[in-house]
Amino acid sequence: MFVMRVALCLLPVLACARMAAAGPLEEAAERYRPYAIEGIGSALTGARDLRERVAAKDLAGAKKAWLSARAGWERSEVFTAGFVPELDAMIDAWPNADSGFHAIEAKLFGTGRTDVEGDTDVLVRNLDELHNRLRDMPLTPQGLLDGTVRLAYEVGESKADGGESRISGTSLDDMRNNVAGVEFAYRTVFASPLRQADAALADSVTKHIEQLKIVVAASDLPHVDVRSLRRASEELVVALQAASAKLGLRRPTLEAQSR
Amino acid sequence: MSLLRSGFRQLSCAVVAIGLSISGPHECALAFPVDGDQTALPAKTELNEDALARPREVFHSEIGGGRSDLIRLGNLAFSSPSILGGVAQRAGISCETCHVNGAGNARFFMPKMSTRPGNFDTTGALFNPKADNGALDPVRIPSLRGARYLAPYGADGRMASLRDFVRNVIVNEFAGAEPQPDILDAIVAYIQDIDFLPNPSLGPGGRLVGKISDSERRGEALFSKPFPHDASLSCAACHVPSSAFIDHAQHDVGSGGLFKTPTLRNADFNAPYFHDGRFDTYDQVVAHFDRVFELGLSTQDQKDLVAYLTAVGDGLMPYEYEGAGATLKEINEFAKLLGTAIPAGDKEVVALAVDTIGGELRELTERYPDRKDTSVSGGEQERANARAALKEVVLLLRHIDMAVGEGRTSDAAADYQTYRSLMLAAVPSLLASAQRWSLFNVTVHDRHFDALRQTMQSKHMSQ
Repeated sequence: MFVMRVALCLLPVLACARMAAAGPLEEAAERYRPYAIEGIGSALTGARDLRERVAAKDLAGAKKAWLSARAGWERSEVFTAGFVPELDAMIDAWPNADSGFHAIEAKLFGTGRTDVEGDTDVLVRNLDELHNRLRDMPLTPQGLLDGTVRLAYEVGESKADGGESRISGTSLDDMRNNVAGVEFAYRTVFASPLRQADAALADSVTKHIEQLKIVVAASDLPHVDVRSLRRASEELVVALQAASAKLGLRRPTLEAQSR
Repeated sequence: MSLLRSGFRQLSCAVVAIGLSISGPHECALAFPVDGDQTALPAKTELNEDALARPREVFHSEIGGGRSDLIRLGNLAFSSPSILGGVAQRAGISCETCHVNGAGNARFFMPKMSTRPGNFDTTGALFNPKADNGALDPVRIPSLRGARYLAPYGADGRMASLRDFVRNVIVNEFAGAEPQPDILDAIVAYIQDIDFLPNPSLGPGGRLVGKISDSERRGEALFSKPFPHDASLSCAACHVPSSAFIDHAQHDVGSGGLFKTPTLRNADFNAPYFHDGRFDTYDQVVAHFDRVFELGLSTQDQKDLVAYLTAVGDGLMPYEYEGAGATLKEINEFAKLLGTAIPAGDKEVVALAVDTIGGELRELTERYPDRKDTSVSGGEQERANARAALKEVVLLLRHIDMAVGEGRTSDAAADYQTYRSLMLAAVPSLLASAQRWSLFNVTVHDRHFDALRQTMQSKHMSQ
């Protein structure tokens, strides 16, 4: 049976999968919306500031604004990959993207140039579109659980090569913001109903999130205990997979499906 | 190791690229160095982990039917950063990083620890400050093929025991914890199981046989010819043809001290040469001996000696294309250990296996770029399925580790059966479907790493 269940997860069957039947969870998912709006709003504010600093040829100010925008974005990754995959791919593309965070990062932090007006305009436009769509975008518990699980797994990936934001040197900050996003989604949407269904499992999830927070509290990326990071990440995902059944949701998928 | 091929044309392209990636100057298939200022290793470190070809590994035990669990455990530990100290663990460095498939790593380069590609300072401060001798004195990374014939160990031959040597590497050079005796035994068993690549041109007593060129024959004669100023010396006096071309002794050949005689078996693939890797080619090696020992070799003599060394140092199929199939084969070999460790409730072996195999699977996942990767287009669904499949088996392994840790061995055994089923059928199938959009495709590989390299180079140019 388990083989079948896993095999199904590997195939693009999302379109015909049953809808989660969880009224209270739907309400809980709504409580996530202000957080999502705030996170993307913060990224948008940072991006607008970035555009101004770029126009003023203020490299230091532009870098600072990029970092601020980036933090808001990373906190929001629980839902960006699952709910807006196309925008996500445009905003966070790498390694040699034409636009988006990493394209701007390469110029600001790599070459020390501020000629990123066009890139910044596109970033602001995309974030603005996302910010607007967030107000009435359906936020399903299943989608948020999928996003939480995917991000929890991603945090455990090796950053031995410097990680995703290696030019700006902010990969550890990315990880911390990712963990904060995971924690917020869990506490806001899933913690209470899971505690009612299975208190021990809820404790387990909380414990693994705390373990992740301890690991990413390292002084810098080279001092992150990679083995502990991976273990905490995977044990958290395993616990969240178990939680899905208790919550009446499907087993979370580990990759966003293409549309 | 098998190759998942999407077509003959692609294979041909891969073979061309492999040649380029192995032999000297390279226009494509370059690996991407560790970079940035947020890594545990010095910026611009080159581990060559992204090479599309890897040295072929031949195991002595496979002549008799297959590897034992002891050898599998040794191979696993050899591939695991967790047996080394903190810096190596955080950087993902294992024995395998330098000794790729038990061979060497001619591309390996670590600023402050190497003076040229292919050497490494085992007494540098990076991995164990206590090991630091205050000098940058790297030694060549040797191939371990045929190591059971090659005592004493170390470039200077300071250790008679391979076991003592391996322990020294783990504990003193890489600041690892004192290894469990069974782990140490297993690593030694693994290293001793790595055979030389067969060389059909070598007959009994190390004589060249078969279709031998005139130049190789003349080289063979010169190899045994006494040196003009000391008739007790000759090349063959130290590189004894009947004994893996070594004499188990140390000599001063004018390279700065006493160093042990290196084997010539498979040496075509062991460059750079000499204890510190100072020479790239046999021509340079022969010229050195000619100069130091005043051999009076003519240009033709030197060419003949090089031809002979090349014939002796050859080996069948020295490299294999690194496709998903090769990685899966290795992972499946490691995972067989779980079949005995789970019923035995052996938490340590299970944890080591899960840690190492899981790490390999996570690395394999990254060979299938996600949709944010701008260097790949097409196959989004296939790539997503491949990534999802690999993530599922990583999590299954974690299930197993947790279950054994909690004493639920029957649960772990059931998960292991599921894991095996997936790894035998579903996972290979999904990886094969995504192969053409993966980093195993030379074109995608080069586009991806070119993009990364260009981005990082822009940073260095600005500094």
